[in-house]
Amino acid sequence: MERLKIGGLKLSVVLCQFELKGPDPPQKIVSTVSKALAAEKINIEFLTYHSRKGGDYQISICVNQDKFYSTSNIFQKKGYLPESWEVSSREKIGMVTIFPYHSALAILGVIMATWGENSIPVYGIATSLSAISFLTDFQAIDKAVEIIQSSFQLPDNHAPLKPELHYYQSTVSKKD
Amino acid sequence: METIAVYWESRIKTYGFNKVDNLSLFEFFCPATKTTELGKVLSNGNFQDTKTKFIVAQESNNGISLVFCLPEKEGRDFHISLKKILSLKSYRYLYPVGVIFFHGPHFGDRYGIADAAFSSLFEAGIKIISSGCSSASVFLVIAEDDLSRAEEVLGKAFDSAQ
Repeated sequence: MERLKIGGLKLSVVLCQFELKGPDPPQKIVSTVSKALAAEKINIEFLTYHSRKGGDYQISICVNQDKFYSTSNIFQKKGYLPESWEVSSREKIGMVTIFPYHSALAILGVIMATWGENSIPVYGIATSLSAISFLTDFQAIDKAVEIIQSSFQLPDNHAPLKPELHYYQSTVSKKD
Repeated sequence: METIAVYWESRIKTYGFNKVDNLSLFEFFCPATKTTELGKVLSNGNFQDTKTKFIVAQESNNGISLVFCLPEKEGRDFHISLKKILSLKSYRYLYPVGVIFFHGPHFGDRYGIADAAFSSLFEAGIKIISSGCSSASVFLVIAEDDLSRAEEVLGKAFDSAQ
């Protein structure tokens, strides 16, 4: 079978993931949590939110690994989350973003099948207008990329885009 | 070498808001033991021309919950096919829903975007059914009837390119 064409690959820096689960409608919680992260100048790199069938809710948030402790502290502070909500975290994960030519659905299928066969976990997925992103263990990224390169047709001489610059905002603003 | 740059936008800039209506939402749970099988079903060619407008998935309870938004007819066909192929007993199908999405010049580099989006919609009483924020863009799934009001609310919270 002909391999699907894709436009390219992009890899993230090392991230960490927080999973928030609970029974209450989470919109206020997402609002509160994102406000608290913004107050600490923590950039959310990936967020999924869904109110699921059956009445429970789940929010998944990824931030840079170097913000793991400050983010943990926010979630542990009293008042941010209702008592019935639980938080779990996962350190050192990575995000692989694929730029599709055609069907994101077919790409999703190939990734689930090939990563599954190679025991590479998928911790989250989200699409944007021109890309589909997958979360997995950071240490598994090289293997994951190798599988993608052998499962899809990439442009000639393509190398995955790796972040060379790390942007962050200082907590101090200076005036002239 | 370290270069420090500071910028501030009084209102976060976007390239404008895009709305898609007449969509259906299909959600189901796939146990970890069946993700490879699901992957093979999705990639076997039957759905190669199926155009999704939104996909998110979250790992939970030793498996993965998947959410798809597709145009009404494709969504109906997709959910009927998958229900049959995977013998799904538990799933959710919602119609009609809409997606509003946007991105901006500094998305991905700065904090505060999720706060501005979620807080403004929460304060306006607009319920978000699902959301995915990655690759410097924000996608929100809401009831189709709320699309115009959501655009209005987000238009006040963000600066939109004219």
